[in-house]
Amino acid sequence: MTTALTRPIRLDLDSFARAAGLHPQLVRRLVALGLLEPVRDGSGQLWFTREELARVARIQRLRAAFSLNYAAVGLVVELLDRIAELEAERHTHG
Amino acid sequence: MADRRDFYEALGVSRDASPEEIQRAYRKLARTYHPDVNKAPDAEERFKEVSEAYDVLSDPETRRRYDAFGHDFRQVPEGVDPQTWARARAGAGARSGGPGAGARPGGPGAGARPGGPGAGWQAPGQEGVWFDFGPGGSAEDIDIEDLLGGMFGGRGRRGWGPIPGADQEFELELSVAEAYQGGRRLIQIAGPEGTQSVEVSVPAGVTDGQRIRLAGQGGRGTGGAARGDLYLVVRLKPDSRFRVQGRDIYVDLPLTPWEAALGASVPVDTPGGEAKVQVPPRSSTGRRLRLRGRGMPARQGAAGDLYAEVRITVPSTLTDEERRLFEQLAAASTYDPRKQR
Repeated sequence: MTTALTRPIRLDLDSFARAAGLHPQLVRRLVALGLLEPVRDGSGQLWFTREELARVARIQRLRAAFSLNYAAVGLVVELLDRIAELEAERHTHG
Repeated sequence: MADRRDFYEALGVSRDASPEEIQRAYRKLARTYHPDVNKAPDAEERFKEVSEAYDVLSDPETRRRYDAFGHDFRQVPEGVDPQTWARARAGAGARSGGPGAGARPGGPGAGARPGGPGAGWQAPGQEGVWFDFGPGGSAEDIDIEDLLGGMFGGRGRRGWGPIPGADQEFELELSVAEAYQGGRRLIQIAGPEGTQSVEVSVPAGVTDGQRIRLAGQGGRGTGGAARGDLYLVVRLKPDSRFRVQGRDIYVDLPLTPWEAALGASVPVDTPGGEAKVQVPPRSSTGRRLRLRGRGMPARQGAAGDLYAEVRITVPSTLTDEERRLFEQLAAASTYDPRKQR
């Protein structure tokens, strides 16, 4: 239902890093850790969606507040997403 | 905010709590109220309060000063005697009572602590760009949070650049009629400056679980970063008449036995007002009569349908005349609904 609100704007690594307020090197690291999943085009260039800005902000907040390492952040993010999914399902079927 | 909650109270610990107790209380509350875990709009404020309380009480020196001077401790110069301060403040309060009486989180001195391991640093000449080397490897044994204190971002000591705010969720309860009609609604949302009224435009025909996005109304960002979004999650209140399934609406249609047997044109209530429904002859209880397009309106595509479900009812008392006619019908009819075909 929120998909209608997404903007189909792609950001390259540098614009994404600037928009997120992070160094491109750190963004690359988050990609390598599988915390962000940009699209890689034929020439190897990374493309990020706008939603990934929210994702990276959440990663920063969780990491800072609970002094988690990136592996743990990945787990927490996945669990939070799964809980949200299950709660949404319970509401529509229950 | 002049009336701030006592930091011990915010953490739910006594004034003589041990550092371990304080940390345990903080950890528990942080897990409960972190804005990415708890989507309620007031959770963020609670989280900030708890984080600030922990920030102050986890450091023995700031805790000692907080105990002596209360929320104003950051404005008190080193080496001042608490009683002298209290007297001076009482005098000043009587004279002015103006601004400056409250503590200022993030005021001078708050950001002065140097970063530790994992804090990262700002690239020279590149404002707003931050490196981060994280608590990798061996640094994991050290609780960075405790070394550096406090909450994320905000006070410039954590080594993070600006962090956009979290998205928040708020349940919006609507009656079926309200969801059907849509329109403007005023909702009250707890925020940092107390309860805030926000006018929301509810599209006609919202369904249960649908999310309405209010861009930039969510959690606050830190360091000048953008606010998150606030999502209103629609919850339809159960209605005594209308049962909503997706875009379709079901409503009971009480009929007399003769209307059901002979057919009739009867009025039926819909959320959009009264409608006429043609009951075909020989309609039994449970038969669904569809009124196309009289369900929930849709922004795109066809509106849902309304189904009137036949429910045959008999009078609770019969007049002599009615009783005589029913008896006559009973004698004349061979119909047996319990007979297998």
